[in-house]
Amino acid sequence: MSFKLRRSSQVALLSFAILASMGAGDEESRFQSLGHEMMCICGCGQILLECNHVGCRYSDRMRSELVAGLDRGENDQLILQAFVQKYGTTVIAAPTRTGFNRLAWIMPFLALILGLVTSALIIRAWKERAAPAASARAGPSLTQNELDDFRRQAREETKL
Amino acid sequence: MTATVAFICVFVTVSILFYVFYLPGTLKLGPEKTRQTYLRERKEVVYENLRDLNFEYKAGKFPEADYQSIKTSLEDEAAAILAEIARLENAGAPTQGRKGARS
Amino acid sequence: MSEIGSFSLLLALALSAYSLLAGIAALTYVGPQAERLGETARRAGIATFAAVLMAALVLVTAAFSDDFSIAYIFHHSNRDLSAPYKFATLWSGQEGSLLFWSLLLAGYGLVLRLRHKTDQRLFAYASVIIAAVQLFFLLLLNFAAHPFAVVEGQLAADGNGLNPLLQYPEMVIHPPMLYLGYVGFTVPFAFALSALIMRYPGEKWIHITRRWTMVTWGFLTIGIFLGAHWAYSVLGWGGYWGWDPVENASLMPWLTGTAFLHSVMMQEKRGMLKIWNMWLIFTTFMLCILGTLLTRSGIISSVHAFAQSSIGSWFAWFLAFTLAVCVGFFVVNKRHLESEHRLESLVSRESSFVFNNLLFVLACFTVLWGTWFPKLSEWVENTKVTVGPPFYNSVAVPVALLLLLLTAVGPLLAWRKTSLESLKRNFLWPSLGAFAVGVVMIVFGVRPWGQISYFYSFVAALLAALVIFTVLSEFVRGGRVIAGHTGQNLWLSMVQLWHRNTRRYGGYVVHFGVALVMIGILGTPFNQEAEKELGYGDKLNIGKYTLVCRSYTQDDKPNYSSEWAVIDVYQRDQLAGAPLETMYPERRFYKASQQSQTLPQIRPHFTNPLVVTDLYLVYEGINQDTGRPIIKAHLNPMVSSIWLGLLVMIFGTVIALVPNASAVRAIAPARVEAVPLGAGD
Repeated sequence: MSFKLRRSSQVALLSFAILASMGAGDEESRFQSLGHEMMCICGCGQILLECNHVGCRYSDRMRSELVAGLDRGENDQLILQAFVQKYGTTVIAAPTRTGFNRLAWIMPFLALILGLVTSALIIRAWKERAAPAASARAGPSLTQNELDDFRRQAREETKL
Repeated sequence: MTATVAFICVFVTVSILFYVFYLPGTLKLGPEKTRQTYLRERKEVVYENLRDLNFEYKAGKFPEADYQSIKTSLEDEAAAILAEIARLENAGAPTQGRKGARS
Repeated sequence: MSEIGSFSLLLALALSAYSLLAGIAALTYVGPQAERLGETARRAGIATFAAVLMAALVLVTAAFSDDFSIAYIFHHSNRDLSAPYKFATLWSGQEGSLLFWSLLLAGYGLVLRLRHKTDQRLFAYASVIIAAVQLFFLLLLNFAAHPFAVVEGQLAADGNGLNPLLQYPEMVIHPPMLYLGYVGFTVPFAFALSALIMRYPGEKWIHITRRWTMVTWGFLTIGIFLGAHWAYSVLGWGGYWGWDPVENASLMPWLTGTAFLHSVMMQEKRGMLKIWNMWLIFTTFMLCILGTLLTRSGIISSVHAFAQSSIGSWFAWFLAFTLAVCVGFFVVNKRHLESEHRLESLVSRESSFVFNNLLFVLACFTVLWGTWFPKLSEWVENTKVTVGPPFYNSVAVPVALLLLLLTAVGPLLAWRKTSLESLKRNFLWPSLGAFAVGVVMIVFGVRPWGQISYFYSFVAALLAALVIFTVLSEFVRGGRVIAGHTGQNLWLSMVQLWHRNTRRYGGYVVHFGVALVMIGILGTPFNQEAEKELGYGDKLNIGKYTLVCRSYTQDDKPNYSSEWAVIDVYQRDQLAGAPLETMYPERRFYKASQQSQTLPQIRPHFTNPLVVTDLYLVYEGINQDTGRPIIKAHLNPMVSSIWLGLLVMIFGTVIALVPNASAVRAIAPARVEAVPLGAGD
């Protein structure tokens, strides 16, 4: 709990610092980045700033709300929260990094680590496997000379 | 209309049944897979690997030492297969049967 | 008419059921009549194709004769629809596309059963498995999604028409390509399962199926890219990939299928990775079924509008059944799949294939996870979340870069083991080339340290260059050896080199195409866009261009009415003289379905000698207050490289399918017995 508190105060501090250091020129880039963190909710399944299908009744309104939020000088967190309150959690384009949603982000890395460990184990097992004895399959009746003959035959037949 | 539909349906069904179940004479089937077939397939694969190795060596992709060691192990593999083919042929058992192939 | 269709579907059902049951009986029963029974099963399989084909023909004929008494035709066609789209009615709705799927499967089954002499017993098993899959689809068609259902009551004068989004030439070929890919994976799946069930000796089944797999993979690739190109040219948002669940559904089997194409080489050449390959192809097939489940059931919301229906549960049960069968036979016969060889060295082609497979499967898992996570979150937390492009991009980009690195490095690693010296030998020139490309890019003003996305783009460009130089060095080295033997020039020698081992060198060409595609994708961070309401003579500036609206107008056609703008394109602020070109972004209103659709105009331009940029104009609609059109312009650098890359990939796949010439022996000195070109494989 205290970790969460510390974390959120860090976030608040950071966003405040970012906000303070930002001039009006950064508003466009904030608009772009926030607009790409959200979806248009008209059902088109597109990022808010990329939805432009004819007669979309949502994307224009949502965009102007975003501009209004920026004009009021609200920080990113606040703006996103307002959107979530109004349009529901699905408005955020990717799972958040808190609570159960964290699992969405962790799993691919977990899978990577698991995969790497498994592959490493498999490769090690392969390396340690005893080399199959070449002559064992040919039957016990063969002499070294005969094997050498066959080896020569293979060499001749595969020559460039 | 209904009569035409019925005629088409009956005609198609009869022709298909005729095609499926009318099998005069002996069947023309492909060869059964034997241990020799299997060994020959294996031989081709190992030969292909050897040819590739030789080719890539000529293309300058292998240092001498790597080339020799890989070549030796591939030739061993090929020799073992050739030996078994020869043994089976000498034994005069051209069709040792499919089960024999399941080593 | 519809009665003949319904009857053929019933006939096909009976035939595939017979093919399955008689096939199983013939394989398990040992007796004098087993072979004859097997032959009737094979023939019933062939006849299934005739019956399904007849059903499909009836549906297409009904579409052309505007037979709106068939509900499917009423819902997906109208009188004024042009001929190609009437033909496409076959696959533009739920029931029709299932019939089409069944037809393609029967077609693949036909070819397989005609070639049965290649390996009698293996093909008999494969034929039975295909018949089982076919039976499932025919049960679905007969009892859950009947394409010949009849409209009750008064007949309508005209149909509802085809979805306007689909009235675009590529949409006529995109679904068939995708289906050919999806359905085609049934064939390698059937062979793999057969090999497991009958404990097939050796790896010849892979050799037999490798062309099937490559063809299937090629179709799936074309299908996916056509979908992307369609999204780019029709949807009008300036992008080509949106990580929509249905796009994901087609990407997943592509990823595992691509992994399979690589790792089977391990089994063919070294007898390794047998269990893995078996499961890879099982998974690929099941992902194809899962994709269909996702698309058709409405379990996961998507923009791809297929009617939500009950057939989702059919697919779920079929998936569960397939998994059970695969697991069952695997448990019984897994001892048969033990590896024959050991790994000699960690630095070898073998281990590069292992990592290649790991990355492909990881990518597939991530896509699967992202697609299902919203559902999972709903179950667990009872909250809905969106897993959109930001999630996929953050995982997919690093994975794609690593794969690109392996694409460059893998072909230079030798089988069995690669020493440091050989690494140096093989990597020197390609990496110097890639380094030079990096320097040139920086000289041309690319600044990779500005943003993480710029950095990724830069790295991807270097890796793409490395891939291209690797491929070139492989061709040149090999070509030189042949030129040394035959005295031919280098070009002819390189052609002969390809002919020696078409799969390998065709594969390298595919790698080259992949590098081009990556170059196209990495242009995305540099996209620009602008939007403005343009009256007569109004200007809009974007990048190096100024757009001037010359006029806007409208027209009326039988199937749709349209509005469009006439936009002159000039170099920025150089409005004197003739325009560079004139563009006509358009918007259509389809009468039958009462829906609107934009038709963006796209023109590629060289913005500098190295960069081709698409100027992409969208007619967004009319401002109701002023009556003037709203035009949106995008500048998308390097997108053309994606489509070029696809063409190269297709070319590579096609030349990989050509049979090998026994060129090795043909180029050998005279003392070794020469075998004529064209023999072999």
